[in-house]
Amino acid sequence: MAKGRALKGRIKTVQNTRKITRTMELVATSKLKRAQDRVVAARPYAQALREVIADLTTPDLAQQFPLLRRPLPPSKGGPTKAAVILVTSNRGLAGAFNANLIKEARRRIEELEAAGFTVELHAVGKKGAGFFKYLKRPLAADRQDIGEKPTADHAASLVAGLIAAYEAGELASVDLVHAKFVSALTTPPTTVRILPVEPPADRTRRPDYILKPNAGAILEKLLPLYVRNVVFRGMVETVAGFYGAQRTAMKNATDNAGEIIQYLTRTYNRQRQAAITQEISEIVGGAAALQG
Amino acid sequence: MRVLVISPEAAVFDGEAESVVAPAYDGDVGILPRHAPFMTILGEGILSVRHGGQTSRFRVQGGFLQVVSNTVRVVAEHVQGETNAA
Repeated sequence: MAKGRALKGRIKTVQNTRKITRTMELVATSKLKRAQDRVVAARPYAQALREVIADLTTPDLAQQFPLLRRPLPPSKGGPTKAAVILVTSNRGLAGAFNANLIKEARRRIEELEAAGFTVELHAVGKKGAGFFKYLKRPLAADRQDIGEKPTADHAASLVAGLIAAYEAGELASVDLVHAKFVSALTTPPTTVRILPVEPPADRTRRPDYILKPNAGAILEKLLPLYVRNVVFRGMVETVAGFYGAQRTAMKNATDNAGEIIQYLTRTYNRQRQAAITQEISEIVGGAAALQG
Repeated sequence: MRVLVISPEAAVFDGEAESVVAPAYDGDVGILPRHAPFMTILGEGILSVRHGGQTSRFRVQGGFLQVVSNTVRVVAEHVQGETNAA
């Protein structure tokens, strides 16, 4: 019977685990909804900014702006430093979500290093920072304060230093590694180059604007906003992606726990039945011996 | 004309309006319906949108204002105040 009691204990444990994972699934679902709303709400700003920059950028204007200019390669005396921003979540239990982001970041870092750059890594979120600390790689920034509600100000404080360093010609490029929120189930890790700014694809017909003061001055103001917004969106999408991944992971865990419980209960019942059968046959055997 | 007030986090106002007064970098600009395509940088101050007899006011800072095909987009870095996304 000792085995029976042990089985009972295991069933209890798995039932408790299932309770926890199911609760986490529900919490993740409701947080996913809110995070998703934020992703959608951030779209008009990004779109307006993109359209206007596309309207204003002309090839000859592009040469004037340090943020649009491509630096010389290191072999010709250009900057040898490149920056990578990695956005991960502060928490785990989301399957391979963070591991995938970290893998993408390492791939990009290796690429840059193979091209002869020294890479400085800016980490947002505890998981990414923790991994690279474990590898003893120094971090240029370690932001764990941003959490699940990134604001435009967070993004601004993150990129201000990078924009200044890029304008000063110290950085050759800045890449952002984040989770793209395609749907709650698809959140592929993505790398975008945020500096130099790729001017958004040109629209065919641009309105004949009255510009005050002039296209150059407006662009100068808007380009940093654009860079900031790309980072902001990356962070918001990563949060939504995280909850999507967590929900899936917790749903799988709950389903698994159910299967294990079913299996254990079956084993337990079979054993109980076997014990009873054995006892009965012992009694019957005993009685038969007495009668005989 | 259609007026949109947009901050990085969300669209704060979206609706029809009769006039807009916005704080541009060098002073207030007033926009009435059928304004020519126009673009300027925003400074800091109060943006007022008159719609249907009432006026919505927002404190805005940074960003830009764009008028194109009878749509005014006020895209500001910071927006504070009324939040009635109609």
